[in-house]
Amino acid sequence: MLKINNIRSGYGDVEVLHDLTFDVKHEIYAILGANGAGKTTLMKTIAKVLPLNGGEIHFKGENISGLTSYQVAAKGLAFVPQEGNVFPTMTVMENLSIGCVLQGKKSKKEKLEEVFDVFPDIYERINQKAGSLSGGEAQMVAFGRALMQESELLLLDEPTAGLSPKYVDMFFNKVKEIHEKKNVSIIISEQNAAKALEIADKIMVLNLGKIHFIEDCAKCVLSMIQEGYRI
Amino acid sequence: MGLLSGYVIYSLSFLLIYIALATILHLQFSITGIVNFGLVGFWGLGMYLFALLQTKLALPFLPALILACALVGMTALLLGRVILNLDGQAILVGTLAFATIIEYLTTTEKWATNGVMGLGTIKMPFDFGRSTDQVFFLLILLCLVLLILYTAKLKTSPYGRLLLSIKDNEVLAQSLGKPTFRHKIIFFTFTCILIGFFGALSAPLYNYIFPRMIGPGVTFTIWIALMLGGRTRLLGGMIGIVATVGLFDYFIETVVPIPTQYAEMVPNFKFALYGLMLILILMFRPLGILGDKKKEGVK
Repeated sequence: MLKINNIRSGYGDVEVLHDLTFDVKHEIYAILGANGAGKTTLMKTIAKVLPLNGGEIHFKGENISGLTSYQVAAKGLAFVPQEGNVFPTMTVMENLSIGCVLQGKKSKKEKLEEVFDVFPDIYERINQKAGSLSGGEAQMVAFGRALMQESELLLLDEPTAGLSPKYVDMFFNKVKEIHEKKNVSIIISEQNAAKALEIADKIMVLNLGKIHFIEDCAKCVLSMIQEGYRI
Repeated sequence: MGLLSGYVIYSLSFLLIYIALATILHLQFSITGIVNFGLVGFWGLGMYLFALLQTKLALPFLPALILACALVGMTALLLGRVILNLDGQAILVGTLAFATIIEYLTTTEKWATNGVMGLGTIKMPFDFGRSTDQVFFLLILLCLVLLILYTAKLKTSPYGRLLLSIKDNEVLAQSLGKPTFRHKIIFFTFTCILIGFFGALSAPLYNYIFPRMIGPGVTFTIWIALMLGGRTRLLGGMIGIVATVGLFDYFIETVVPIPTQYAEMVPNFKFALYGLMLILILMFRPLGILGDKKKEGVK
């Protein structure tokens, strides 16, 4: 679904990602790494929010390296950033509606019903300004809006940062549920390795802008158990 | 219509034009977040182009109006192409510079504009004898009502929401598949054409125009009025204009009996009072007289 070949990216003269190559099939792909490893930069580069300094990105067999972020979004790639993920002066309803202007296979009402089906909590707050939501609620609205886009690949950038453990559990369950029910591939960047291992099919560990290793989750869990880690 | 005659109708017509300009500023600022400090540039450009087309090329009212608006639109498109992908302050400085250039050109290009001598006389589009001014007043009123209705409609429409999302978070709007720059430039051009349109409508009112009329004072007066009235509200511009231009330029200068020796001070004193009002309103009611009906969580 997504093929990344030798991409390099960064901010101005500072190069953050050095020659990353990997591909994502129809799966939940977790990107792990410490602060400053380049997780967010990688996400932003795939979503074309940041310019590419080198390499190629192929999405559904098509080279998207030269496209802008809104063209990429139109191809079916939804990006949920870590910060500033909702429009604060607009209501929750408006935040959700704006996600569905683009594609039109299903009606807006159907899509809204699907979102409320997954996130019943935000239904109670549809007329509230998104700026007054808590971090977890804003995250759910952003996730819901990404679903409204009917995209085939979701990029979630540290969706659980700063959330309470209760929300984190719920959120990961939702991610899994959406992947299975709606046939959406998901790339999720995460610091919480144990949680990511629970839901992901494949994990990648980033370190200082380079791939430390990529491994199937099942194998990873197996080898960790063999080495005596408790999960 | 005995009451609404002569100076009163003339003043009210200008009040309406100022209200329209404040409403367009509100459109640009509170919906797309574009800080236009070059308002008077587009207004003056519309006014001068219309006057030139009518006096030099002897075009009738409607073709002159349409052509003037189209030329203002093209200018706005070019300016927008250059400055709109810069950050807020750069847009502010860019538009201000544009207005200064327009004012300067009207002074220096004497072959077209007669420089400081001014350009005239600009005819009314129709002649109804003594009630021509009243009919023109009604025409401006109609345009203003249409503008306000459009603004109200836009705020709740999907397109308005799209523009609002660009103002809130442009990067996020982009990653939702919105070509934000294109939308910004189209909306900027459209609103600048509206400013030019009201500029063209002011020309026959003034009858005779000269470069001093399009100094930065107009822009700042309207900005102050919008901040006073409530920049996030549809009628904020109207309230603000009535409280500044309406109160000082027309009410105090015409109704209040000021001794002749002090009368000259009023226009100068006025700007000091505008400033004072602005400081007070920002201290005690930051969102203006009307404030915000729904308290915004984040501002």
